[in-house]
Amino acid sequence: MSRRKFQGFISVVFIVAALLSFGAAGIVAQDDITVAVVTPYLAQPGTQFMVEAFQAAGEANGWTVNVIDTAGDVAAAVSRLEDVAAQGVDAIVINVDPAQVSVGLEAAAAAGIPVFGMDAGADANLVTNVTSNGYAMAAETATYVTDRLNGVGRIVMFTFDPYPPVQKRGIIADAIFANSPDIEIIDRVTPDVTDGGIADSRARMEAILAANPEAGSISAVWAAWDQPALGALQAIEAAGREGEGIVIVGIDANPQALDAIAAGNGFEASVAQDFTGIGGTVADAVARHLAGEIIGQGVIYVPTVLVTAANVAEFISE
Amino acid sequence: MNTTPSIPHPARQIGRILRRFGTLIGFFAIVLFFWSQRPDTFMTVRNWLNITQQISILGVVAFTMTVVMVMGDYDLSVGAMASLGGIAAALLFQQEMPVLTGIAVALLIGVAGGLLNGVLVSLVGITPFVATLGMLTVFSGVAFFISEGETIFGRAIPEQFSDFARGGIPLGTIGEQAVLLPNLTIVALLVLLAVWVLLEQTTFGRRLYAIGGNKEAARLGGVRLRLLRLIAFAVTGVGAAVAGLMLVSRLASANPTQGDGLMLDAIAAVFLGMTMSEEGEPHVLGTLVGVLILGVLRNGLTQLAIDSYVQQILTGAIIILAVTLSRLIRRAS
Amino acid sequence: MMSSTNTPLFEVLGATKEFGATLALEDASLTLRAGEVHALMGENGAGKSTLIKVMAGVTHADAVAYRMDGRPVHIGGAADAFRLGLRFIHQELNIVPQLSVAENMHMGQRYPRRLGMFVHWGELYRRSQQVLDTLGVGYISPRAIIARLSAGDQMLAKIASAFMPDAGDASRPARVYVLDEPTAALTGEEAERLFGVIQALTAQGCAVLYVSHRMDEIFRIAQRVTVMRDGRVVSESLIADTTPDVLIHDMTGRTLETLYPPRQSAISPEPLLSVEGLVTTKIRAVSFTLARGEIMGVAGLSASGRTELLRALMGADRKLSGRVALRGKVVNWISPRRSWDRGLAYVPEERRSQGLVLSRSIEDNAVLPHLDAFSRGRVFVNRRRERRETESLALATRLKARHPSQVVRELSGGNQQKVVFARALAGRPDVLLLDEPTRGIDVSAKHDIYQLIRQKSADGCGVLLVSSDLPELIGLCDRILVMRAGRAHAVVSAANLTQADLLRLCYGEKIS
Repeated sequence: MSRRKFQGFISVVFIVAALLSFGAAGIVAQDDITVAVVTPYLAQPGTQFMVEAFQAAGEANGWTVNVIDTAGDVAAAVSRLEDVAAQGVDAIVINVDPAQVSVGLEAAAAAGIPVFGMDAGADANLVTNVTSNGYAMAAETATYVTDRLNGVGRIVMFTFDPYPPVQKRGIIADAIFANSPDIEIIDRVTPDVTDGGIADSRARMEAILAANPEAGSISAVWAAWDQPALGALQAIEAAGREGEGIVIVGIDANPQALDAIAAGNGFEASVAQDFTGIGGTVADAVARHLAGEIIGQGVIYVPTVLVTAANVAEFISE
Repeated sequence: MNTTPSIPHPARQIGRILRRFGTLIGFFAIVLFFWSQRPDTFMTVRNWLNITQQISILGVVAFTMTVVMVMGDYDLSVGAMASLGGIAAALLFQQEMPVLTGIAVALLIGVAGGLLNGVLVSLVGITPFVATLGMLTVFSGVAFFISEGETIFGRAIPEQFSDFARGGIPLGTIGEQAVLLPNLTIVALLVLLAVWVLLEQTTFGRRLYAIGGNKEAARLGGVRLRLLRLIAFAVTGVGAAVAGLMLVSRLASANPTQGDGLMLDAIAAVFLGMTMSEEGEPHVLGTLVGVLILGVLRNGLTQLAIDSYVQQILTGAIIILAVTLSRLIRRAS
Repeated sequence: MMSSTNTPLFEVLGATKEFGATLALEDASLTLRAGEVHALMGENGAGKSTLIKVMAGVTHADAVAYRMDGRPVHIGGAADAFRLGLRFIHQELNIVPQLSVAENMHMGQRYPRRLGMFVHWGELYRRSQQVLDTLGVGYISPRAIIARLSAGDQMLAKIASAFMPDAGDASRPARVYVLDEPTAALTGEEAERLFGVIQALTAQGCAVLYVSHRMDEIFRIAQRVTVMRDGRVVSESLIADTTPDVLIHDMTGRTLETLYPPRQSAISPEPLLSVEGLVTTKIRAVSFTLARGEIMGVAGLSASGRTELLRALMGADRKLSGRVALRGKVVNWISPRRSWDRGLAYVPEERRSQGLVLSRSIEDNAVLPHLDAFSRGRVFVNRRRERRETESLALATRLKARHPSQVVRELSGGNQQKVVFARALAGRPDVLLLDEPTRGIDVSAKHDIYQLIRQKSADGCGVLLVSSDLPELIGLCDRILVMRAGRAHAVVSAANLTQADLLRLCYGEKIS
């Protein structure tokens, strides 16, 4: 009886070991260049584009790219930074606020490993950070809305201040709307983003629609990224108020938003970050650094484009 | 003939050892495996100090979670409490309050929140699952409310405070670099010691185990059920707040969700530890092994560059495997 | 069923079973006759359970033969036993608490159906009612949720289910019933009903094998008795030809006089515990006084309030009004914790669910109510003192265990009860509140517990002893408080009291 139990246990241990080595079989030998990408946000479409572009460029250079996603957990990102520093990779790319992972960045610095920001945030511990200009993007959509309304109207804003890159978009939009005395902000909503942001935004927008029942009482929805804009659009359609001409704008131009812009139901504009360009530019920066070049810029901006019905077709065909 | 042969002594001994230490053996098997795969970077002093630092925060939550789980209760609100405690301290730091004030307020919030859980469970009589699930949402809402959803970082967090997570006690030098026993590791060890003394060496702990074994018998045997449950939940609450402070120090920032992920891992660690006791009771040293397994798996799998999602699958599978195995071994004997 | 009384119906011959080095059964034979209740007695470990398991086909004997109606039959497994008409009813009932009585009675059988698909509920209830009526327990409704019935009625319903004719298969009717300690969890009243059912069974020509530790029951309902010891049958006799004394001697080598050790010390006149007009939700205005050194029995039917009286004194149920004085001082704020601290000790009715933390060690259980007393500064446990105390308690109670650190779950029922008893003695109490302290344990363990009770009384303890074992109450107590419907119905001296009188008191009659 006992012997059988023991054998059972041992075989299970071996199965685990086998599982582990199966995973490990995917790794390439250690002597060529290895770059680790650490992000809590891989579930975001934008991050996926950047990481894919970086992987493509990196593999073209003959690197091994190890992508680590901590599924929203910033503390785990710090731990994983320490792990890859201990492992001794050649370079690290982060897609997370550097201020929040500075302990991990110090571990990398102590191990002499260069760290690059990919839409991360400026930090002295980074060789450089490649990003879009968040202020400029928010300014594009906020001025678009102001122009469409001719400076008069009632606006619902969707923002998310806990995440610094989105927070700065809100600040710019606040400033631009405040500059038009006849624009009134009805509500500034922070949606629950654990479901991706669409469902809760829709629910919040439905409540706002219910509170403002007269046609024309809501002129526009300005969202700091696309998901709340999509949720708002769904709410407006569900309430049968798509005929009121409520202007909806988002930022990031994700595929769902592009479809909505093309459909022309009220979702009028978004801003496309060039994620592929960011990923590629980071790879370029890593390559230059490894080749011994000194990169002077703390931040490298990659241009963005306002997407409207006029030019949406080019983005969808991509 | 249908005689059952009597079990020879050594075989029975092996069964006993497996039952008690199977999980520990599994842990060493995992360590050996990573060592063999990454001989240069895994089994180093620096990496192990790293691991202890990485698991220190989870450890504090799991150790104090053990206290309520000994009574057969749960506290699902620990993650939200860690977020709340952390953000409350950070907000006070932002107002340029002294560091000690921030720490004291966070700990008080931990005690108060834990007592609130205790009141709901012990005096009102709501099941712990429902009561603490409700409080999870409340704590999380309060954290968002007081912070207005913002992340507090940068100069708002005093250097004095964030430096704590970077510092440690020098152990010597390896190569050119000084090796530190990280402060966070020391905090976790102190909490471990405190919980161990509390559960294993005091009459309080003895009574908690009695409650966990049989609530009615404990009450009739003179155990003050309500009072003890109240205190135990307060201990777990304060542990969560300590973990929240450690998070703020380590991340040099605070946001209203940063501790949320701790709860499930802490419960998983306690369950892993429970596989190591004959009667399936939680013990804090077992919880330590559970926390180590989770930490070493994450560190080792990252070093092996295994896809993050595959890592999650493997971690979950190993937890289930360990618990299943201990259940099977127990059933067989 | 054409077999007349006294013809052998079912026989087990020469059963032998070895477990490792121990002989659990050695050439044990048993003959059950139609229309007869056959009692099987013996201490725990005497081989009764093994013999029953062999009959049931659950345990395979090394050597055994069976005969049914004089013809050799084969039992290779539980299905064979069932087919032959053997039915087994154990102490632990396998019922599904949330289902109805009728559904529990049809467990493992096809429900009657309509159109071959839908359960024919009317028919299901009708059939169940019929069986319940036959057994004289028609007051149990087949529609009732079984968990709501008393423990006794649950057992009766389960017995009735063994009596269910198999749907569409009359070829295998139940012929032999084996009842393993069925009254262990029953009150006197419930046991009475069970005896009625047993009578109905034998009247129909069935044979009943009845396992019990309780002498009074056996002399009431059995016609024949077999005593086992160390795996062997030591005696088989007609009940009419034997006495309890002989049976106890056969089981243990002890006689009945020594089972209830006689009082050797005088009762002090000093009142120890006086209760006036005690009221809880379950008991009404109970008054009595217990003297130092006195053993007072508490008798009564189920739900008479006898258990609740002890619970109220201990503080397990809340006191609504009344006055309780201990050693002449009125005590308020009664809670279990305070009661233990004041020198009361409690052995609750259900040792497994109320008395013990099964997952903890003997010493943890033994010192639980007095942890502070054995601690360092009321904060840290003192293992050495706990160990010393536990060892001396184990010695005093003749507890058989490997080690004080052994987990209580691993002990036998009798030894578990001794742990509960040891716990009650640990704080050197003044008042012992004992609720069914000898239920379901064997004669030797009972004897040990009786001696302890005597000894504590000689030490000046007052004892309140709740029991449904009437000989035990009469044999051990000085006075007996009879509870009825939550009130103290009578207080009588136990000297010269007969069982019949005591039973009559329990049913609410007065005796002169």
